Amino acid sequence: MDSDAWEIIHIPDKPTFSPEHQPTLKVYASVIKPNFANTIVRHLCKIASLEDLRHVKRVRKKILPDHGEPQLTVILCLAPEDNDDDMPPDIQKLVDPYELSPFITEVCKYAAVSKEEWEEQCKLWPTSFHPPTYNIDGIGGFSEEDTQSICKFMRVAIDLAVCGHKTIVNAAVIVDPSVKRIIASETDQVYPSSASGDMTSAETKSFKERGESDHCQSIDTVTDASSEMCLNGILENLNSSLSTVACLNPWQWSLQSHDDESKWHPLKHASMVAIESSSARDRYLFPNSTDSFINNHSQPSDADCPAKKQKTNSHCADVHNDNKEALRDPLIEKPYLCTGYDIFLVWEPCTMCAMALVHQRIKRIFYAFPNPTAGGLGSVHRLQGEKSLNHHYAVFRILLPGVAHNALHQDLKCVTAES
Amino acid sequence: MALVKEEDSHKYMGFALQQAKLALEALEVPVGCVILEEGNVIASGRNRTNVTRNATRHAEMEAIDELVEQWRKDRLSPSQIAEKFSKCVLYVTCEPCIMCASALSFLGIKEVYYGCGNDKFGGCGSILSLHFGSSQTEQGQGGKGYKCRGGIMAEEAVSLFKCFYEQGNPNAPKPHRPVVQRERS
Ligand SMILES: [Zn+2]
Ligand SMILES: [Zn+2]
Repeated sequence: MDSDAWEIIHIPDKPTFSPEHQPTLKVYASVIKPNFANTIVRHLCKIASLEDLRHVKRVRKKILPDHGEPQLTVILCLAPEDNDDDMPPDIQKLVDPYELSPFITEVCKYAAVSKEEWEEQCKLWPTSFHPPTYNIDGIGGFSEEDTQSICKFMRVAIDLAVCGHKTIVNAAVIVDPSVKRIIASETDQVYPSSASGDMTSAETKSFKERGESDHCQSIDTVTDASSEMCLNGILENLNSSLSTVACLNPWQWSLQSHDDESKWHPLKHASMVAIESSSARDRYLFPNSTDSFINNHSQPSDADCPAKKQKTNSHCADVHNDNKEALRDPLIEKPYLCTGYDIFLVWEPCTMCAMALVHQRIKRIFYAFPNPTAGGLGSVHRLQGEKSLNHHYAVFRILLPGVAHNALHQDLKCVTAES
Repeated sequence: MALVKEEDSHKYMGFALQQAKLALEALEVPVGCVILEEGNVIASGRNRTNVTRNATRHAEMEAIDELVEQWRKDRLSPSQIAEKFSKCVLYVTCEPCIMCASALSFLGIKEVYYGCGNDKFGGCGSILSLHFGSSQTEQGQGGKGYKCRGGIMAEEAVSLFKCFYEQGNPNAPKPHRPVVQRERS
């Protein structure tokens, strides 16, 4: 499989608009005399700072064809959307002393995210344009090497979602991109039928075995043929039932048939399980880093169920080695939650999972298919655009080759209009 | 929406605040909750995000997991468990975040009462309104909403947050800025 055929697109913080149809705001503006410019602008910044319009230039300079002097026009303040003759009194006071003749004009409401948008904006009123980098790798484009490794990890997620399950589930792979190491890889555990026998045994394996050799190996040795098979499996199933993909049908967990042999939980979506597993890894690799209060206050709850105890025991044997490895390998630093980590998901996470990934401080999210029923990253809600949240991740969609005509892609148009 | 008598709602929120205080003593973000079935407390939970290093271990999740474990041990089927949740009422000291508000909708809980609002992450009106359920459902499935009311003993909940942020979050990355914002980690 050729990774050139995989396309990675950024899903921005706000829905994208075609450059010609960007939302605008009305403002009061006036031509000013150049010798008043500095005083007026200083004054206006105090009484009418345009906090949400930082991308809009306060002063427009126009060279008129007939005289050599540039004409300066300044934005006085925001204008009410409905009422035209309601200029605030302190702006009104400036009219006479500075010989202003206010008029209403329009500026673009949001900062441009592409050069095309910016050029269109400046036809209305000049704005500034900062190509979006936000310090998050990839928004400005990926290197060939990064693209290769992103596609590899997405293949791991697809393998997990399809292979070894009776029905298709979602899968989540958390990766430390700085060392290209898998931190956790899990699937939905909402339905008993979705966890096959070997998944249960995977539960009891150590992180070292599971995370750092199984999957690293599988990345290096996975043959194109086998992952091609999984990809085809998922493509075939895209048109049939996806009812067991937890994030797509989060309200339907109770419809499953009863099977008291296997483990299931209505909220154990793949992302939630992967976060749990990465935090467990953190606790095992760095057992002492939160000091004494850990032991004093641990509460007898879910952590004490027999299965987890067993898991804990099986890890104890490894802790010694892992610690040694941690000491030796300067690349393993104690993580703060999932700071700096990427997560690869086959389906766009639901709002619960998307918020969980905010809480756990994931840096970048990659998913292959949108989630029109409950998606939290653009399809229904768009958490990456909620300014009030205390952490923001960058979201990318990976377009797989050969899926463009699928029914699930009806909303593709709204996410592909990209910078 | 006077579903519960005032004194009863104070009694139940008192239990939730008790959990929040235990969280504070354990140097955790002080949020606590209880889940009731027919007026009886059947589960409780408090924030355990620092000790678990799992920032999703909110009070609500702790209480929900306690119930799911118990009911699975009792060999209840998924539909019986759903039936159980549809009769449950949650009291939590702070408005459920977007994650927990979604989870409560997925479970089909009956009613939610909270203390203070959560103006950063709130999923029951502050940022998103997930308690209304979803209108976007395929095959007519799901999208469950639940009744929700806030402002119950909100000052008590806020004063616990103040205590917590005065002592600082011990698990924040170092060097950490003095914490001034009210938030749930
Ligand atoms: Zn989910
Ligand atoms: Zn929460």
